[in-house]
Amino acid sequence: MALPAKGAPDIAQGFDSGGEKIFNRFNETPLAATTGTDGTRTLNTYYELRQYPGSPPRVPHDVPDSFSGDTLKCLSCHGRGGYDVTLDAYAPVTPHHEYENCFQCHVPRRTEKLFVETDWQSINPPLLGRSEMGGSPPPIPHTLQLREDCIACHTGNAAVAEIRVEHASRGNCRQCHVPMIATEPRKEFTRNK
Amino acid sequence: MKLNRRAFIKSAAAGSAIVAAGSIFPGISFAGWQQQEGASGQISWQKAPCRFCGTGCGVLVGVSGDRAVAVKGDPNCSVNKGLCCVKGFHSVQALYGKDRIKKAQVRRNGKMVEVPMTEALDLIAAKMKETIEKHGKDSVAMYGSGQWTIPDGYVASKLFKGCIGTNNVEANARLCMASAVTGFMTSFGIDEPMGCYEDIEHADVFVTWGNNMAEMHPVLFSRMLASRKRKKNVTIIDFATRTTRSSQAADKSILFKPSTDLAVANAICYEIIRNDWVNWDFVKKHTTFHKGKTNIGYGTEDHFSFTDVPEDISFEQYKTFLADYTPEKVEKISGVSAKDIKYMASLYGDPTKKVMSFWCMGMNQHVRGTWIQNLVYNIHLLTGKISTPGNSPFSLTGQPSACGTVREVGTLTHALPHGVVMNEHDREMAAKIWDVPVTNIDPKPTYHTVEMFRALDRGDIRFMWIQVTNPMVTMPNLNRYRNGALKDDRFIVVSDVYPTPTTAVADVILPATLWVEQEGMFGNSERRTQHFDRIVPGPGDTMSDTWQIIEVARRLGFQKQFPWGEDEYIGKIWEEYRRFHDSPKHNMASYEMLKERSGVQWPFVNGKETRWRFNTKHDPACKPGTDFDFYGKKDGKAWIWARPYEPAAESPDQEYNFWLNTGRVIEHWHTGSMTRRIPVLHNAMPESYVEINPEDAADLGVVNGEKVKIISRRGSVTMKASINGRGVPPRGMVFVPFFDESYLINEVTLDAFCPISKQPDYKKCAVRLEKV
Repeated sequence: MALPAKGAPDIAQGFDSGGEKIFNRFNETPLAATTGTDGTRTLNTYYELRQYPGSPPRVPHDVPDSFSGDTLKCLSCHGRGGYDVTLDAYAPVTPHHEYENCFQCHVPRRTEKLFVETDWQSINPPLLGRSEMGGSPPPIPHTLQLREDCIACHTGNAAVAEIRVEHASRGNCRQCHVPMIATEPRKEFTRNK
Repeated sequence: MKLNRRAFIKSAAAGSAIVAAGSIFPGISFAGWQQQEGASGQISWQKAPCRFCGTGCGVLVGVSGDRAVAVKGDPNCSVNKGLCCVKGFHSVQALYGKDRIKKAQVRRNGKMVEVPMTEALDLIAAKMKETIEKHGKDSVAMYGSGQWTIPDGYVASKLFKGCIGTNNVEANARLCMASAVTGFMTSFGIDEPMGCYEDIEHADVFVTWGNNMAEMHPVLFSRMLASRKRKKNVTIIDFATRTTRSSQAADKSILFKPSTDLAVANAICYEIIRNDWVNWDFVKKHTTFHKGKTNIGYGTEDHFSFTDVPEDISFEQYKTFLADYTPEKVEKISGVSAKDIKYMASLYGDPTKKVMSFWCMGMNQHVRGTWIQNLVYNIHLLTGKISTPGNSPFSLTGQPSACGTVREVGTLTHALPHGVVMNEHDREMAAKIWDVPVTNIDPKPTYHTVEMFRALDRGDIRFMWIQVTNPMVTMPNLNRYRNGALKDDRFIVVSDVYPTPTTAVADVILPATLWVEQEGMFGNSERRTQHFDRIVPGPGDTMSDTWQIIEVARRLGFQKQFPWGEDEYIGKIWEEYRRFHDSPKHNMASYEMLKERSGVQWPFVNGKETRWRFNTKHDPACKPGTDFDFYGKKDGKAWIWARPYEPAAESPDQEYNFWLNTGRVIEHWHTGSMTRRIPVLHNAMPESYVEINPEDAADLGVVNGEKVKIISRRGSVTMKASINGRGVPPRGMVFVPFFDESYLINEVTLDAFCPISKQPDYKKCAVRLEKV
């Protein structure tokens, strides 16, 4: 199930790259769920499902043909995460649970074959651990568009091992981590004279 | 192996704080994509409208070196606000199929041979001259597309209508949007929606008429769902002939029998009047009542012609006409219960609710396509729910520039960039801007699309140039038109990006640039013009469709009309074209502004976009001192039409006992020539299928995946059955997606069309099924 919107009543929504979502998610997720480390996902399996850094991943597991627009079925696992017995895996949590037409962007794979071969290429995924100084908090290497909810992807059993944080008990991620998009040219400060 | 981050870092020799993800597991590369060699790992982003449907989502194309390598939704584009669908997110992969056409080819002794571009262009010009000399100017034709950029369509019209002097210019949007246009013209006298997508956030009720938006316009559908979630009191009604993803997401699904939407729409109006939900102030001030001919035919015979004769009627006459459409009577025709009809009427009739109606191919590809548009407008006009935020009858488009190029530029046989060829003033305006003698422009339209392909079959047309479309998959009753194209002494030129069943019938193939390999503009469903730059170079000898036409025009001696240089032609063409629309009713933004913004809506007047036309508060073209001004019609009124229910051209009978309905799926766009070359999309939807109702399948003895032969009076196709799959047709109907060139369902469909719009009906013909 999707998270209810919980911010202070009567405030504007959707500003600061949906920053409210982080607080809601932190509030709603039991500590045990954010600190779990039993998952098996790695960056390798993460990128196998994608066509370029930031593309919507394919659905890696079987979904019945009749499985269609009933979003509760997707969000029952991917809304809050948790262990799935049939797949023996922890379900990754979506960072954009407010969108309910899941198959709009995520499709399964019914064949391995291609219609014709492709010349598609893309860039390397962003580098990890780019702390500016030894031990300083690394910046956020990706855009926040559709990925505003840090806690969804970076904590808990379903988090990709390489990007899982070890201080999930803190709920104000962007207090220390700021976006510095690794795949875009870096803008240095120059003084207007 | 369970991994936590600490164990993981220990195992991955992490000597440096900077670890490239790709080097974390030495020897293993990520399977998702091939990594670009020597790339900086950095992307620059440039805006473009999406290449696919008519929604017109803004995308940002990520470029590394000279390649497009990523996509994200453009947060500055008000259409989609940063969200795309699975096609848009993977759209750039359509550029990189290995079988991309990179060289010109000509047919020699039955075989296609690669030649230099200049040789192919010389041959095309020579063949056109020769054909015109032998058979007259109306023996050469251009068949274009709602995927043409605006400059593509503009130069095609200028060359054929202005210079050569033939009205043989049509576009595939005839198969897609023609009924929408004639609907607007008959009800309002001016084309394209009065409202805009912002209506979605204002509306309380959505009724989708034969329109599976969850798959076909998913970004707008999501916008609707988001609004329902936020506002809590929003109702979505899926009114359709088949159960789909949109039905699953709707609050209520109501199924009607094919073609009976006409009867239901009239019944809704009957109820609105019976309950006195009429907005009398609006109706008296802003509407007039009319009727036209009835029993208007289906156009299945060659040389079919029809002209409607409108007559004025009174409100009382209209009310008498509606007496045949009581909910109880219509229940018997339509299969929709009187209760559901009354419910729909009550939603439209409730003065406290703002209502949006959405439709696309269900109402357009309809042998009474113009009528059903009129009838849905009637509902909105009787209740005065139009041209105000949230009250919006909204005709969606299927192609990225069906509006921009075909409807606004007028690349249809009767049309000009402003007005129609039949009108002397419009011809004079075109001749002046085009710098051609006015006598060049023929005042008589020639062939609409179906008749144009019939003329090719008959031999009245001998030369056809096809750009950016795939008619050898999409023409209804396809066998006839393919055989026609293959006849001796027919010369077919095809400009495309990949081999298709249409390039298979070509005598010359020109390699075209695709989407962001060229500069251009599209125009989307909500009157938004969207510019894109040439973001990456096209491969090999590829050339933009606009430039191909310019090259041929110059070879035909029209240098004066096509004088532009290759580095400036798009901007120059835009500024020339814009002169046609220089009035508050249609003013368009400057080239510079289009380059800057993620789309600009017309009418663009005094630096402001017009979001709600005909509403004096929002539309500067309205007469001051009134609340609404339907200035498209000479009487300043919107027209309410008495249009009866008439059945489809071919309905199921004893022998052919099923309806055949055709359409799309979310993964593929049109004939799949682009989307099937996108790995994610092909992997998810590798082939077409026939949806059968589970009970019909049981009667046939067919289980899921077994082969079924679909047979009509025109052809047959054998494909796998899909039972309880993506969609579920009612008993007595089958549904087939048309994207798959291996299963040409259009060999089975019927070339009947709406006599007013001449748009074929791909949703209704009779077939029988055989288990194979």
